[in-house]
Amino acid sequence: MKILVIEDDPSLREVIKSSLEKERYVVETAADYASALFKIEDYSYDCVLLDIMLPGGSGLQILEALKKARRKENVIIISAKDSIEDKVNGLDLGADDYLPKPFHLAELNARIKSVIRRNNHGGESRIELGNVCICPSTYEVQIGGKPVEMSRKEYDILLYFVNRPDRLINKQTLAESVWGDHIDQVDNFDFIYAQIKNVRKKLKEGGASIEIKAVYGIGYKLNTHVK
Amino acid sequence: MKLHYRIIGRLSVALIVILTVWAGLFYFALMDEVNDEVDDSLEDYSEVIITRKLAGERLPSHNNGSNNQYYLQEVSEDYADAHPHIVYTDSMVFIKEKNETEPARILSTIFEDDDDRYFLLTVSTPSIEKHDLILAIWYWIMFLYGALLLTILGINVWIYRQSMKPLYILLHWLDGYVLGKENRPLTNPTNITEFQKLNSALRRSTEANERIYEQQKQFIGNASHEMQTPLAICRGRLEMLMEDESLTETQLEELAKVYETLDHITKLNKSLLLISKIENGQYPESSDIDLNVLVRKYLPDYKEAYGYKQIRLDWEETGTLHVHMNETLAAILTTNLLKNAFVHTAEQGHIRIHIDNNRFEISNTAEGGALDRDQIFNRFYQGSKKEHSTGLGLAIVATICKIYAYRIDYIYKENSHCFIFFFF
Repeated sequence: MKILVIEDDPSLREVIKSSLEKERYVVETAADYASALFKIEDYSYDCVLLDIMLPGGSGLQILEALKKARRKENVIIISAKDSIEDKVNGLDLGADDYLPKPFHLAELNARIKSVIRRNNHGGESRIELGNVCICPSTYEVQIGGKPVEMSRKEYDILLYFVNRPDRLINKQTLAESVWGDHIDQVDNFDFIYAQIKNVRKKLKEGGASIEIKAVYGIGYKLNTHVK
Repeated sequence: MKLHYRIIGRLSVALIVILTVWAGLFYFALMDEVNDEVDDSLEDYSEVIITRKLAGERLPSHNNGSNNQYYLQEVSEDYADAHPHIVYTDSMVFIKEKNETEPARILSTIFEDDDDRYFLLTVSTPSIEKHDLILAIWYWIMFLYGALLLTILGINVWIYRQSMKPLYILLHWLDGYVLGKENRPLTNPTNITEFQKLNSALRRSTEANERIYEQQKQFIGNASHEMQTPLAICRGRLEMLMEDESLTETQLEELAKVYETLDHITKLNKSLLLISKIENGQYPESSDIDLNVLVRKYLPDYKEAYGYKQIRLDWEETGTLHVHMNETLAAILTTNLLKNAFVHTAEQGHIRIHIDNNRFEISNTAEGGALDRDQIFNRFYQGSKKEHSTGLGLAIVATICKIYAYRIDYIYKENSHCFIFFFF
C-alpha cells in the first residue's frame, strides 16, 4: 500500500510519515503544490493525505486535477481550517474523508484503512481481525463464526478498537469518539470502564483471539497477538 | 424619564409659581382700583349732599333708587375734634327699604357749616355689587391663568419636538445598532451644529469600534487557527512516543499527563475557534428544531458519564420548544447547558430541567453562593475552577444566543444556579 502525504509543515509531515510506516505503508511526501502535482502525475497511490493550504496553491486544486484525470486515489483532506465550506467543497470535489487538525494518529490510521476498504470492496465489507468478524452494515459481531450479542455501545467500542489494532487509545479520546464530542469534560471514566468490562467478557467467553488491555493511567489497547 | 417630560415638568413648576404670583398681584391691583372707584363714587355722593346742605338746598331722599344711603346728623364740636373728618370703613348696614342688614362700604365725613355747626355725614353703598365684580374678576384671572399656562406648555412641547428631531433619529438608530452586525448607515441630515457634531462623533466612534471588534475577532480566529498544526505535531509525536514498548510505567504515566494537558489546550483552541466561527456567521443554514428531542437525545449520555456523582435528576416537559436555528448550533447550545449543569454539580446534588413552549430552564445545586451575573457568560469566567472545564461553555452558549437574538439568563434561587433560555 502506497500513501502520499501532502503537507507543508516538515515536522507534521515527519510525524505522519513515521506513524504510517509503522503500519507498514510505503510513504511518499510532498511539501508544496508543485512537487505534489509532480508526484501525482508520475506515480499512482492507494491513498493521498491532502492539506488544503499549501505554498504555491490550494490542495483543492490538486484534488480537482486528480478527479479530472479520473484517477482512483482515495483522498483524505487534513486541514487546519476546519470550516464547513472547505469540508463541503472538498467532499463535493470527490474527497473520501475530511479530518480536521489536530487529529489523533490512531484516528488517521483508522480513516485511511476505512477509506481503502470502502473503495476496494465497494462499501459492503466485513472487518476481520483474528477470529473476530464485524459486519458494519448489519451491526453483527461473530467470534469464530458464532454470533455474539452486543449492546449498541459495546458494539461501537469494539468497532473502534478493531479499526485501531495495537494502538494506544486514550480513554478521553475513546469517550469522545464513541459517546460523542459533547462528552469532553468528564473527570471520571468509570462509565467507560463498565462498558469495556462487558466487551472484554464477551470476547473472552467467545474465545476471541484478540483482547482489550488496560494501560494504566492512559487508556486501552487492543492486542492482536494473544498467546 | 424622557427629556421633554423633564423639561415640561420643570417649566410647569416655574410657570405655576410665576403665574400664581402674577395672578395674585394682578388681582390685588385690580381690587385696589375697584375699591378706589367705589370710594370715589362715595366721595362724589357725599360731596353732592354736603354742597346741597351748605347751600341750603333740599337734600335728596335717603334712598335715591340706588342702594346708596346717607345719614346726616349734627355732632358737637368736641366730637368733631376728637374724630378724623374723613373715615372709610367696611361694616354692616341696615337698609330700611329691604329691611335687612348687608355689608357695605361707608364714608363718614364731618363738616362744618357757616354757622359753626358740625355735621356727621355717613354715606354707604352695599358691597354686594363689589362682591360680584370681584368674583367676575377672579374667574377671568383664573381662566387667563389656565389658558396662558396651557398655551405656553403646548408651544414649548411643539418647539422642543421640532428642534429635537435629529436627536430622536440618532437615538432610534443607536437602539437598533448591534456591534459586529450589518447596521444600516446613519442618515440624519440637520443644520444644527450640535447635532452635526454628535452625528459625526457617533459615526467615528462606531466605525472605530467596528474596526477594533473586527480585528479582535480576526486575531482570535487566526491565533487559534495557526495553533492547529503545531498542536497536531505535538500530539502525533507524543502518541508515537507513548507507543514505544521500551518505556517504563512511570515514564508512560508522565507522558500521559502531558498528553492530557495537550488535550486540554486542543479543546480550548477548538472552543475559541468555534466561537470565532459562530461570530463570523459560518453556520448560516437554519431549520426548525425541537429542543425537547435534543435534550432527550443527549441527557442519557450525561447521566451515564456522570453516573458516579449520583445526581438526582428531575426532567419535566410541559410543552414543546421549537426553535429556528442551525442544527449544529442547537446541539452545541443544548449540550453545553447540560454539560455545565453536570460538571458543576457536586456528588448527590440535584439537577432540574424544565421545558415548556417558550423556555428551557436548567438548574443545578450550587456549591458556593450566587455567581456574578454580569460575568458568567464571559470567556474564562469560572465560579469555581474545574480541572477539565475549558471555561468557554457558557461563552459559547451566549455567542449562539447573541447571533439569533435569543435571551439566556442566569438567576440564583433556592441555593441553585438556574439558566433559562427564552425563545419567543
